[in-house]
Amino acid sequence: MLTNPLGLLALLGIPAVLAIHFLQRKSIELPVSTLFLLERTQRDAISGRRFDRLIPSVPLWMQLLGVLLLTWLLVEPRYKKENSVQRVAIVVDSSASMSVFRDDGIKRLTDELPAIQGLASAMEITVLESAPDRPRIYTGTSLDDMAKALKKWSPKEGMIDPTRSIRLARSLVSSEGSVIYLTDTPAEELPFEARLLSVGRPVENVGFTGITFANEQGALVWRAVVKNYGKSPATRTWKIVTADGSTEPASLKLAPGGITTIQAAFPTDAKEVRLELSPDDFPLDDCLPIVKPAPKPLTLFAATSPAFADLGEKLVNSLEATSSSNDATSADIMLATYDPLDPTLPVGNAIVFVEDSTATGTYLRGGILAEASPLMDGLNWQSLLVRETIQLDRQPTDQVLLWQEKRPLIFLRHLPATESRPAASQLFFNFDLRLSNVERQPAFIVLLHRFAGAVRDAKVAPASLNLETNQPVKLTLDPKQLATITQTSPDGKVLSKTSSETLPASFTTPPAPGFLTLSQADETLLSASLHFADTREADFTACSATDTLTESNQAAIDRHTKEDPYWRVWFILLIAAVLVAWKFVQTKSTEPTVASPVGGR
Amino acid sequence: MEPSMSLSAAHSRALAASGRVRLPLRSRVWRGQAGEFAGGGTGSSMDFQDHRAYSPGDDPRHINWQAYARTGSYTMKLFREEVRPVVDLILDASESMFFTPEKLNRTAELLYFFAESSLSAGASIHIHAVRGDASLTLDPATLRNHSWLDKIRALTPTQGDHSNPAAPEMQRLPLRANAIRVFLSDLLFPADPEPILRHLGQRQGSLMIFAPFLQSEATPDWSGNYEFIDAESQGRHPHRIEPAILKRYRESYSNHFAIWKQQSNRHQTPFARIPCELDLITALYQAALPINALESV
Repeated sequence: MLTNPLGLLALLGIPAVLAIHFLQRKSIELPVSTLFLLERTQRDAISGRRFDRLIPSVPLWMQLLGVLLLTWLLVEPRYKKENSVQRVAIVVDSSASMSVFRDDGIKRLTDELPAIQGLASAMEITVLESAPDRPRIYTGTSLDDMAKALKKWSPKEGMIDPTRSIRLARSLVSSEGSVIYLTDTPAEELPFEARLLSVGRPVENVGFTGITFANEQGALVWRAVVKNYGKSPATRTWKIVTADGSTEPASLKLAPGGITTIQAAFPTDAKEVRLELSPDDFPLDDCLPIVKPAPKPLTLFAATSPAFADLGEKLVNSLEATSSSNDATSADIMLATYDPLDPTLPVGNAIVFVEDSTATGTYLRGGILAEASPLMDGLNWQSLLVRETIQLDRQPTDQVLLWQEKRPLIFLRHLPATESRPAASQLFFNFDLRLSNVERQPAFIVLLHRFAGAVRDAKVAPASLNLETNQPVKLTLDPKQLATITQTSPDGKVLSKTSSETLPASFTTPPAPGFLTLSQADETLLSASLHFADTREADFTACSATDTLTESNQAAIDRHTKEDPYWRVWFILLIAAVLVAWKFVQTKSTEPTVASPVGGR
Repeated sequence: MEPSMSLSAAHSRALAASGRVRLPLRSRVWRGQAGEFAGGGTGSSMDFQDHRAYSPGDDPRHINWQAYARTGSYTMKLFREEVRPVVDLILDASESMFFTPEKLNRTAELLYFFAESSLSAGASIHIHAVRGDASLTLDPATLRNHSWLDKIRALTPTQGDHSNPAAPEMQRLPLRANAIRVFLSDLLFPADPEPILRHLGQRQGSLMIFAPFLQSEATPDWSGNYEFIDAESQGRHPHRIEPAILKRYRESYSNHFAIWKQQSNRHQTPFARIPCELDLITALYQAALPINALESV
């Protein structure tokens, strides 16, 4: 191979040498009178054939030889070593936008990899996804097999930092191998000396970005947001598709970068519905599956004195899917007050306030300090004013959430599960709410909502949710029962169905849009729709094609090749050719170049 | 050396040569004006030639009265005629005749030699310079003041080029009858010799050809690229000369003069090629005397 192909430019020296010989080899001017005799015998050597005038000479041949030798030395030829292996690790961008350019990427890889192999006898290829937890796509030595494996690859992830996968790839090929990052959006700089192969291009795309629901006039109304990510106006049609059929397509016009909202009432008799846009190059966001949203229901039993009845009513009204209950045993949360004369406390999930109607203490002094807890995260209690009241009996296991000096104001008690009842949490407000400004504190409302949400999350109950693809979801299951997760495509085809007794508490939704059901003991605990809503992936304006594959890898060349063993010989020959040419030119220049005239007409 | 000095030296050498060799004027029978040479007819010289019967109109001064006394019939006494020889010198005035100093010298030497040789023999000499279709009759006085060269070089032919230089046109020359015609030319033109020889031999003319030549014309040592400058037109002509081409040129040169030699023989014309490299007398002895183009004094 030629290490320095630019050295071939030295071949321009050949026409240069010839030109110099043509131009400098001035003809001898000679007056002559026998021209008619000469031209009578030499019809083919008359003027107009300047190339005939180049006389082969030793300097000419030496100079041409010198140019060839110089070219050979400048291109730095190297010969292939036997049994050398080029290791290549390819990290393919798992983000969903790559699905548009997957075939382009495969073609570029199959085109470019032979050049990367260079002079190595063999090439070991490893293909990884940029999502680090995915299995390897291919490991082997065949380009065709690699292409076949990549054909089966379907990128659907959101935007992913490829650094971890590139680090892994580099460790696989060591410092001598090549790491290639195949993506659609050029990165400014890649770590671990990875080379970039970007195959993207700006694609006009219109897609759904999200959905909200609202109850209007007793009907459930969905509102979906549609965005034109492209740089030119777009016209699309959309329709609602249910198991019973679809609506007539409605037209939609969007300016470049424009956003619009479409809305309609959720079909009353349908469980699973999907909104469909007319297709474009990026199909993931052209379909929006939806289900009728229904969070886990929550019941609230208020066992407070009448003084706190108003608070209980407000809490029920403000919490989603929450209703009042008159049954203390079945209620999810009990709202209770603490009376020192009747210090009985609830046994389930409860929110307990101190009721102290006997005394009006002074305001508590001292700094307010919130303990680190998910319930207290980001809440500001500094404007809380509390008067001294009677206090609850605090147990050593209680987790204090808020202090004023050394006095606990709010604490949390976890009751472990027993045979007769499940585990429960109780939130204690260790002061009388009426003797403070806590009801006007946003932190108080948020804390109550968080506690209610935590209770709701811990409840095993059916829910119906509209989720995004790749969204982490907390699952609350009955650990004693077998759980089954069924994933279906937007049009209802079952894609996967898995059963397990040990599902993790945290679950990430699949990357493909569609529907998901989680059932346990014939009860459907979760009915969810999954839609693609990663607007970064749907926006192709930053995509472009570029690569840094051709950046020279001198170390790889040195490793797989050896230098020309005779380069010293060529160098000496070059010097000799130059000296011989110079010697002949010197000798020639001392000879007379203008002849005396010869006779004849 | 200035041209006039060079011509003067050439004149001196020609004079010296004319003391050693001369044109063969005495070896032939002349007719023409009264002079020193014995004519072909009867004349008024002192040399008795013959008797014949008287015819009316004969000069009565030449009646042989003694014979009339013996025989009673008029007998005329005839005497040999004495005439002046006539020489027409035709000079090819093309540039190639003055191409190199050697050739210029030799041309001038020959011109002076023929003129001096003719004049010393009392011949009537006319000198015609011809360049293509242009011609000029030179006064012999211009030879003595050496202004002839400038005059003939001012001649401008209207025809011919480097590949086909115009041959000297003889038809316009006022050639005289019964003259010795000396054609001084290097013959480096592509014309057919036959018409020229025939024309110059008309009217009982006796032609002799003297052709000065350079050895470098006959056997040049060219090799490589040349920008040949035509002597006639001064045009530049690039050529590459290789050994094969040079060989063909030499053959062509030899053939050219072989044809002239052959045609001259047919017309019984002495044809002498005078080398320019030798001194004049040596060259004349070597080239002209063996073929009786000249004779020793």
